[in-house]
Amino acid sequence: MQAERLDFVAVPSRDAAALRAFYVDVLGLRPDDNANYEVWIGDTCLGIWEPERVGLEFEPQRNGPLALRVSDVAEARVELEEKGVEFQGETLDTGVCHMAVFRDPDGNDLLLHRRYKPYE
Amino acid sequence: MIAVERVDFVSVPTRDAAQARRFYVELLGLHESTTPDDVFPEFETSNVTLGVWQPEAVGMEFSPGSGIAVRVPDVEAARNELEAAGVQFRGETMDTGVCHMAFCSDFDGNGIILHRRYAEPRPDGMGHTESREREDERKAGAAS
Repeated sequence: MQAERLDFVAVPSRDAAALRAFYVDVLGLRPDDNANYEVWIGDTCLGIWEPERVGLEFEPQRNGPLALRVSDVAEARVELEEKGVEFQGETLDTGVCHMAVFRDPDGNDLLLHRRYKPYE
Repeated sequence: MIAVERVDFVSVPTRDAAQARRFYVELLGLHESTTPDDVFPEFETSNVTLGVWQPEAVGMEFSPGSGIAVRVPDVEAARNELEAAGVQFRGETMDTGVCHMAFCSDFDGNGIILHRRYAEPRPDGMGHTESREREDERKAGAAS
């Protein structure tokens, strides 16, 4: 089998409209022109869905965050913190990149990420 | 407003990197792109990297991620192939009217959706899975 591409990442929510507003208005992601609950980052689509509407238990996504590339993790973190976004712990310096973990309003994990070490 | 430039990777938690490799490389056919800088394996889809990591190796609790949809040429054929390899599916394959979706988990319990859209994008529709760049390309192709 050959999986061709990643079509979307499913993002669980209890309030898809509120979560969409967070992704668009706070994170600045591009809403899909044709779908209410899909937003885009470059070539990657996030599909917001409500598990409870289809009889499934809601559980926020933990441990599977998307790494969102920003030009400067520290600056972006300050800007999001000023808007009330809560981060989990200090910004991590892995030796090749900076990473800061935060959560969206439904409690799903996300990462601000910037690699600073050049690729060899 | 912060400027998010792209998704550098989608994190995929595992308890066993070899088990993750078996699913993503041997079963889904993804290319492994792990470099000496990487502590854990990385696998490539054509548009975004899957970055495997082991929460328990860094003192965190393991819990599986919730769901990534991978495009396959034929959902039923892919499902049969994964089932033969021991992958568990939940429920029947769904036909949403625009796409087929089958729900399974990798060997760590991370949610995976085998997905194939068969309809053209609708002006009013859900399930639009095309980036603006690709949509523009397609429309330019149709107009010429």
